[in-house]
Parts: sequence; structure tokens; C-alpha cells
Amino acid sequence: MNYLMTHIRIVTAFVIREIATRYGRSPGGYVWALLEPVAFIGLMSLLLGSLGRLPALGTSFTLFYATGYLAFSMYKNMEGYLASAVSGNKALMSYPKVSPFDAVAGRFILQAMTSCVVAFVILYAATWTTNQPITIQWNYIVEATAFAWIMALGVALGNTVLFFKFPLYQKIFDIVMRPLFLLSGVFYVPSHMPHPFSDILLANPITQVVVLFREGFYVQHGDTGLDMPFLITTSAGLLFVGMLLFTVFPVARARE
Amino acid sequence: MIRLERATKEVRMKGVRKMIIDDVTVTFPRGKSIGLLGRNGAGKSTLLQIIAGTLELDRGRIIRQGKISWPLGFQGSFQGNLSGEQNVRFVARIYGVDTDELVAYVAEFAELGQFYHAPVRTYSSGMKARLAFGVSMGINFDYYLVDEITAVGDTNFKRKSQQTFKEKLSNSDVIMVSHSTGTLRDYCQTGIVLENGQMTYYDDINEAIAVHESNMKRH
Repeated sequence: MNYLMTHIRIVTAFVIREIATRYGRSPGGYVWALLEPVAFIGLMSLLLGSLGRLPALGTSFTLFYATGYLAFSMYKNMEGYLASAVSGNKALMSYPKVSPFDAVAGRFILQAMTSCVVAFVILYAATWTTNQPITIQWNYIVEATAFAWIMALGVALGNTVLFFKFPLYQKIFDIVMRPLFLLSGVFYVPSHMPHPFSDILLANPITQVVVLFREGFYVQHGDTGLDMPFLITTSAGLLFVGMLLFTVFPVARARE
Repeated sequence: MIRLERATKEVRMKGVRKMIIDDVTVTFPRGKSIGLLGRNGAGKSTLLQIIAGTLELDRGRIIRQGKISWPLGFQGSFQGNLSGEQNVRFVARIYGVDTDELVAYVAEFAELGQFYHAPVRTYSSGMKARLAFGVSMGINFDYYLVDEITAVGDTNFKRKSQQTFKEKLSNSDVIMVSHSTGTLRDYCQTGIVLENGQMTYYDDINEAIAVHESNMKRH
């Protein structure tokens, strides 16, 4: 119990520290965590919306784009932020009390809270851009978010070890993951794509997250390509492998 | 009390392996300050990290009873964009001590004046060292780990820090690595010599120093 309280305290300290340091010297500080995605999505939907065509689902391009982008960033932002949690706080591991997982847990909590606020603000605004009534089904949204975060945690924990051991792998990972945004169904509906592309796209677990997230906003008829068993096994598998690597190789305290 | 039981640690640096301790069982009794002696590269600093808990043993185990400090004067954790005060608050939160109390203590001890509220990146190295020493003194530990004590600040500050540290040692012990035998005699009553992966405990620091010096002559 005492042990648990200590780590809750340390994780809290990390959250407070990250809020103060994440945006370094830029004026406004942590407000940028909210402003950045809001501005980006706003700009993108303005640009794409001005092309004048109807989105693949519903009538609002803003809502269609926002749901896709937010679902994708639930994974991507979390993974990117967590992957540097240990390396970015390496000096703090010299405090015997601090364990590497505290740094990861602190960033996880902060990113989760930030993502939720960002999603609420953007989606609330986006629902005003459509004249159709929307029935929001929270269970899909919550599930999609949970899967995105679990996969991000697993990948980041594993990469913490692998990036440290194999610097070349980090370069390769960055290059390979760059097209992920295009391949995750953010601005199209994967099941509308011609065969066999639809199957290839749907084999990407992040695409599945986006599809599941959109189920919470759109009533769709026909097969959306959603594959829950695949999503569950992939998330659990990534988390398991990530935690295993992170536990077996204590890189955070290895000497350089 | 700190106790190593059949402890083994090997470090690998750029492909070179070095056995730091090999199947060592030793007890650091509470109530006596200990000086760690050994030749350059014997692994004294590594041993301090093992005692602190920031490095894991390969085999065997370590039992720690009591609160053990980070290396005295450690300043690597200070975040340049945070003020001295914010950095102190972070340490206070980690160690579960009253934040306001520690902030006030360090403010008085480190004598940083207005700089206390300025980002640490604007500090001189002396100011940073004073801040670090102040934080170390502001939290009560059972064991203070010292890797080469370095005096910081002007004469007055040196005298003050020395006095404060000596006062601390009436209730706490120090585990110290130093190349200066004078410093070791000054702070420690007992000693441990680290040589060829073995640790030998001596009740009297003077004896430990004598053994260490004869070791050094042999090679």
C-alpha cells in the first residue's frame, strides 16, 4: 500500500513537471497542447471542405475529417510522446525512488487527459457543421480510444528498449511509420475502397481504430470491415510484448 | 543497515567486460560512516549506484533498511526551463516531504536571492551547485551517498555547508567515495576496500587506507 502511494505521488510529480516543461520556452506553455490540434484540424477541414464535395459519410467534411484525425491521433500522439518518456527523463532515473515506468505513467496520464479535452472541444464544434441529427454512441468511441491507447503503450514500451539497443531501428521505424497517416482511413472509408485495397487497409489495426471510432458518429449500413477479434488480439499482443521487453531489459538505467 | 548477499555485478562498456563485484557478501552497519576505497576504475561509483538502487545486480541481492539519498550534490535532474524553486518542488514531491518547507529551506540555504525564481539555465555553475547541495541537505536521509565531495561556493558558503553536513551526520551515516584520504579520515570511521571484485570491510578507516595504499604499491 505504501509502495503504491509512493508511486502515485511520483507519477503526480511527473505530470506537473511535464505540464511545465513540455512546451519549453514557447509563450503560452501547455495551452499549445490544445491549440495545435484544434488549429490543424480547423485548417485542414477548411481547405478540404472548400473543395465543395461531400464526404464519404454524412454531410459535413469537418466532422468526417475530425473523427478520423482524432481517432488516429489517439494512437499516434500517445505513442510518440510515450516513446521518449524514459530517454527524455533519463537524468531523473538517478533518483533511487524514481522508476522508469513512473515517467511513462506520468506521460500516459497527461496525454490521455489532453487528448480527451482536445477531442471534446473539436467534436463538439464539429457537430455544429452538419445539419443532420447525430446520435453519438459513446461505447464505440470509448472502445476505440482504449484500443488506441493500449496499442500506443505497447509499441512505446517496446520501442523504448529497441530504440536504445538498435539506433538504426529507430530510423527505420520512423520512415516506415510515416505513411501510416495515409494508410489509416483518416480521409476515406476503407470499406469503400476497391478490393483488394480495402482488405489491405483493414489489416492495419490503426485503420480498425478509426473505423470503430466513426461507428460512434455514423449509422452505417452494410459491412464496415470492422474486425473486433483482430483489434483485441493485436492490442493485447502489442501490450504484452512491449511490457515484456520493458521488464526484461532495464535500459533506462544502463550505462551509455 | 545495508547488506549485500552473494552479489555479483559485471559491467560492459564498449565491449569491454569488467567484474565489479564477484559473489560478495558484506554488511554496512548502521551508525558508522564508511569510506569506499579502490583504484581508478575498480567500480566504486558503480557500487554507489547499486547501493542507491539505480543499478541492478546481475546475481545476488541487496537489503536496504533506511532511507538512502541520491549522490550528494547531484544536479543532472535540474530542468533548465524550470526555476530553481520549481525543481525543488519536484524533488519534494518525489520524496514525499512538505514542498513549502523544502522550498523555504533551500531558499535560505542556497542564497540564490531573486535567481531562485529564475530558470535554472540562467544559473552559473556555482549557483547550480549551491541549489543541488541545498536540496540534498533539505531532506533527511539515513544514508548519504557521496561520490567525491566537492566544495562549492565562497569561503563562507563552504564553511556553512560543511557545518550543516556534519550536523546531519550525527543522525545519518555517509557512504563516501574519495581519492583524498584526508577527507575520508575526516568523515568516516570505517572503510571498505574494493579490489579484484572483492570487498573487504575494516572497522577502522585508517586500516582500510593502509591496505588500499599497499595495494596501490603492489602494481
